[in-house]
Amino acid sequence: MKKLINQTVFFASKINKTHLQFALMVVALALLVLGAGAPEDFSKVGR
Amino acid sequence: MPLLFAVVSGSLTGIGISKFRGYAWSPPGFRFVWLIFLGFLPQWLAVYLPPTRHLLTDAQASACLVISLVLLLFFSIANLRLPGMPILLLGLGCNLAVILANGGFMPLPVETAHNLVNQTILDGLTVGERISSASKDILLPEAQIILPWLADRFVPPPSFPYRFAFSLGDVFISAGAFWMLLKGSTVKSF
Repeated sequence: MKKLINQTVFFASKINKTHLQFALMVVALALLVLGAGAPEDFSKVGR
Repeated sequence: MPLLFAVVSGSLTGIGISKFRGYAWSPPGFRFVWLIFLGFLPQWLAVYLPPTRHLLTDAQASACLVISLVLLLFFSIANLRLPGMPILLLGLGCNLAVILANGGFMPLPVETAHNLVNQTILDGLTVGERISSASKDILLPEAQIILPWLADRFVPPPSFPYRFAFSLGDVFISAGAFWMLLKGSTVKSF
């Protein structure tokens, strides 16, 4: 268990802050366009 | 899906051009980014999340959609300085205007639906009602649509494998997002 926690902390410390910011901004922009846009693709019809 | 294509292609093109020019690329720095998550939440519950979208009536879903768009509109105004955001804001404004003018959902002309799907599927739809609980669109005859040029009236060429209807607002939103990511923030890498 202690080894697992150490490994998790080790990998977490390797995450680049810039990469995290990049991912957050791209996800935010994806949500913005998904929310603002309203295309209809009919694949969802009947669901 | 077509909107996400603009985000993915804009990111890849922005990264590619930056690398070619020897610059480090980073996505645009948003202010009040929490407004996007807050704004998307009502729409996520009303349109995207299967367990909740079935619980809401059309009137509640429509209210969620309008609240969501208004919050995203505030976010876009707060970030108007970013490249591409004025175009995206114009698209959002177009979609919000036509949705508000037509009872809270994006109108889809019956004539456009005829070009997209076969008669069997079309027979399962009711004119004047929402396409499905997972849709932001309402099926209406062209003559009954207010601001018809802002409705989901455009379709890709017949040779295009993915069939969907989109609005003028969607085009502006995609173009704005693409431009925003293409320009991005570039920093000279040493």
